[in-house]
Amino acid sequence: MSAELFPAQEIGSLMKPRWQILGQHGDPLDDRARQEFATANERTRFADDARPAADALLDGRPKDAGADGVRDLGALFALRLFESAGLARVYDGEARRIEMYEYPIRQMRGFQFQGHVRSFDNKYYLKAAVTDEVRLERPYHVEEFDFVRRHARAEPKLPITGPYTLADWSYNEYYLARRSGWKGPAARRAAQREFVVDLAQRAIRPTLAALIDHGCRVIQIDEPAAGTHPDEADLVVEGFNAATDGLDAEFSMHICYSDYRALLPELLEAKRCRQWAWEFANRDRDGRDGYEVLGALREYGDSRQVGLGVVDVHRDEVEPPELVADRIRRAAKYLGDPSRLWVNPDCGLRTRRLDVATRKLESVVRGAALARADFASPRA
Amino acid sequence: MIVRTGLTGPFPRSEALVAATRDLDRGRATAETVEDLYARTEAEVVALERRLGFDTVTAGYLRWADLFRPFAETWDGFTVGPLTRWFETNTFYRQPILHAPPARAPGAIAARLPPALRDDPAHARVLLPGPYTFAGLLENRSGEAEEALVHRLGRLLAEELRELSSLGFATFQFSEPLLVDRPPERALAEAVVAAYASVRAAAGAATTIVWTYGADALPAFDLLDRLPVTAVGVDLAETDWEAIPATTERRGLGLGVVDPRTTLVEEAADVVRILHALKDRRRPSTVWLGPGGPLDLVPWEPATRKLHLLPAARQALDRESGGRP
Repeated sequence: MSAELFPAQEIGSLMKPRWQILGQHGDPLDDRARQEFATANERTRFADDARPAADALLDGRPKDAGADGVRDLGALFALRLFESAGLARVYDGEARRIEMYEYPIRQMRGFQFQGHVRSFDNKYYLKAAVTDEVRLERPYHVEEFDFVRRHARAEPKLPITGPYTLADWSYNEYYLARRSGWKGPAARRAAQREFVVDLAQRAIRPTLAALIDHGCRVIQIDEPAAGTHPDEADLVVEGFNAATDGLDAEFSMHICYSDYRALLPELLEAKRCRQWAWEFANRDRDGRDGYEVLGALREYGDSRQVGLGVVDVHRDEVEPPELVADRIRRAAKYLGDPSRLWVNPDCGLRTRRLDVATRKLESVVRGAALARADFASPRA
Repeated sequence: MIVRTGLTGPFPRSEALVAATRDLDRGRATAETVEDLYARTEAEVVALERRLGFDTVTAGYLRWADLFRPFAETWDGFTVGPLTRWFETNTFYRQPILHAPPARAPGAIAARLPPALRDDPAHARVLLPGPYTFAGLLENRSGEAEEALVHRLGRLLAEELRELSSLGFATFQFSEPLLVDRPPERALAEAVVAAYASVRAAAGAATTIVWTYGADALPAFDLLDRLPVTAVGVDLAETDWEAIPATTERRGLGLGVVDPRTTLVEEAADVVRILHALKDRRRPSTVWLGPGGPLDLVPWEPATRKLHLLPAARQALDRESGGRP
C-alpha cells in the first residue's frame, strides 16, 4: 500500500488514439492524427522508447512501423499518460486489446463462436458456446505485461476478465448437456457452477500463475457480469477463489453498475481479494449519495481496501477536484477508515475522448490531494 | 388437448442484417439497402415459421429496437430515455419516460408491425407489452399512481387490440416478464387483473396470451390463474414444471420449452414427458409451445436450429395419440 493517503490508480481501458488505429491498419496518418500524436508526445515524450516505430509512422511508412510496433507505441502512450497524471498504479490502457471477452476465449479450447447477439439498437457482440471441456491453449496477457513491466515507471497493475463474467457471457452447452433430463432451473445452476469453476481452474488460474511468474504483483479481476444475477454472487466468489487458489499477489475485484448490497454478504467470501474496485460516481447525482453503500462494508466488518470510483466515465463534464475531494471525504466517513481508500475512475475511460479522460484523471489526483490535506495523520 | 406452436418474442437478426445495420450506423450503407434487407430477412423468418408448421407467425419483429420503443416513440406523453439493463441479461432497452398521462396515436402501432404480417393478419401473432411490465419499467414522471397507470395502460392496449382486430389480426400476446420477476401484490395485483379485464372486453373472439419469462413463475401463479385471457405462458427454464399447481379450470397454458439462454437444443422426449404430466394436472384446453422468451438472446443460426424442437415435440405427441387431439 502507498505511504500516502488516497493513492490513485488506473481501472481499465482508454480510447485508442486515432494515430494508433490508422497505424495498426497500415494507413498513413492524416493531419488530425499527426496533431494528436505531436500534442501527446510533447506532453509525455512517450515515443522516446519506441523511436524507430514512431519515426516510421510519422514519416508516412506505417507498414515499416508494423502493427505490433504501433501497438507498442499505443501502450507507451497510455502508460505515460497515466504516469504524467500522477497515478501510483498504471497499465497500458489495454492498448493491445479490442474487448474483454473474445480475446480470452480465443486463447482457450472448448468454445465455438455462434454469431452476433444484439446488445441494443444496432449494437451487437459476438458470443461463444462452450461445447467441450475448457482447456487453456497458453497463458495470455503475459507478453503484454512483460512490455509494461519493462517500461512502467509506476507500479503496474494488470486487469483480466474473471471466470464468472466469461461464463455468463457464453452459452453453456457442454456442462448443461452432461445433465440428464429437462434442463430446469436447478440443472442450469449446477451446470453453470461447473462451468465457472472449470474456467477458473483450467484457464484463469494458470494464466494468473504465469503472470505472477513474470513479476506481476497487482492483479485486478474484472467481473462486470457479477451484478447481472445477484442471486449468483456465491458463484462469482467460487470462481474468484478457484482462480486465485494458492497464488500470491495483490488481487482486487472490479464490479460496476451493480446493486452492491444485493451481492453482500456472499461477495465477502472472496478470500484473496484485497480490494473492492467499484463504481460510485455514476450514482452520485440528482440528490443521491453514491457512496452511502460503503456503509454496508462497515456493517459487515469488512476491512479490505476500496478502489473508489470518483469520476463518472459516461459523462464528458470533468468533475472539479473539489467534488472529487468531497466524494473521498464522504467515502472515508462511511467506511470509517480513510487509509483503506484508493481512488480511480468508476470504470475504464475508453468511452471518453482522450482529452476528457486526461482531465478526469488529473482531477482524480488533484481531488485526492485536496482530501489528503484534511486528514492530519498520514499513514505509517 | 390442442397443441399450438409459435415464436413468443423477437427473432435474432441474421448475420447479414447485423452487418448491414452496423454499416448503416457507420455511414457505409444506405437506408434503402438496409430496408431491402429487412424485408428479405422478414420473409425468411416467415418462411421458416411456416416450414416449421407454426400456428402463428411473427416475421421476427426485427425492426423493433425493444418491446416499448414503438409505443414510446409514437404515443403521446412519452419520451425515449436512457439505456437500461433488460432484466438479468446482457441486453438493454431505452427506458420510456412518461411525462403526462399517455394517449394512443391511432394507426401508429399498426404501422410499426412487420410489413410481412399485414398480408395474412389472421395467422399473425401481435406482440404487445403487458400493462404491468410497461408501467413498471418506464420512468413515471406523470404523477399518476402505479396502480392507476397499470389500469390506464391496460385500457389503451385494449383499444390497440380493438383497432388491430378490425384489420384482421386475431392473436395477441402481452409480454409480461415483470409479472414473474417482481410479482405484484394487493392493490397492484388487482390493477393487473382489471387491466386484463379491459383487454378481455375488447378482445371478442381474438386469442389473448399473457407470456411471462425470465424468472420463476411459481410465486405468481395464483395471480396468473386469475387473468381473464385465453392462455398464460411460463418459462420452463426458470420455472420448476413439477411444482406448477393443479387447477380445475380448463384454459390455455403456454410452455416456454426452448431456452433462449443456451444454444443447446432441447430434447422432444423431455417436452412430451412434461406435457403428459401437466395435461393431467392442469387439464389445459390448448397448450402453446414456444421459446421461453425472446429468442434473440441467441444468434440467428442456433436460434433456427433450436426451433426444430417445436415440430419434433408436436410430431411425437401426434404419434402417441394416433392423431387424436
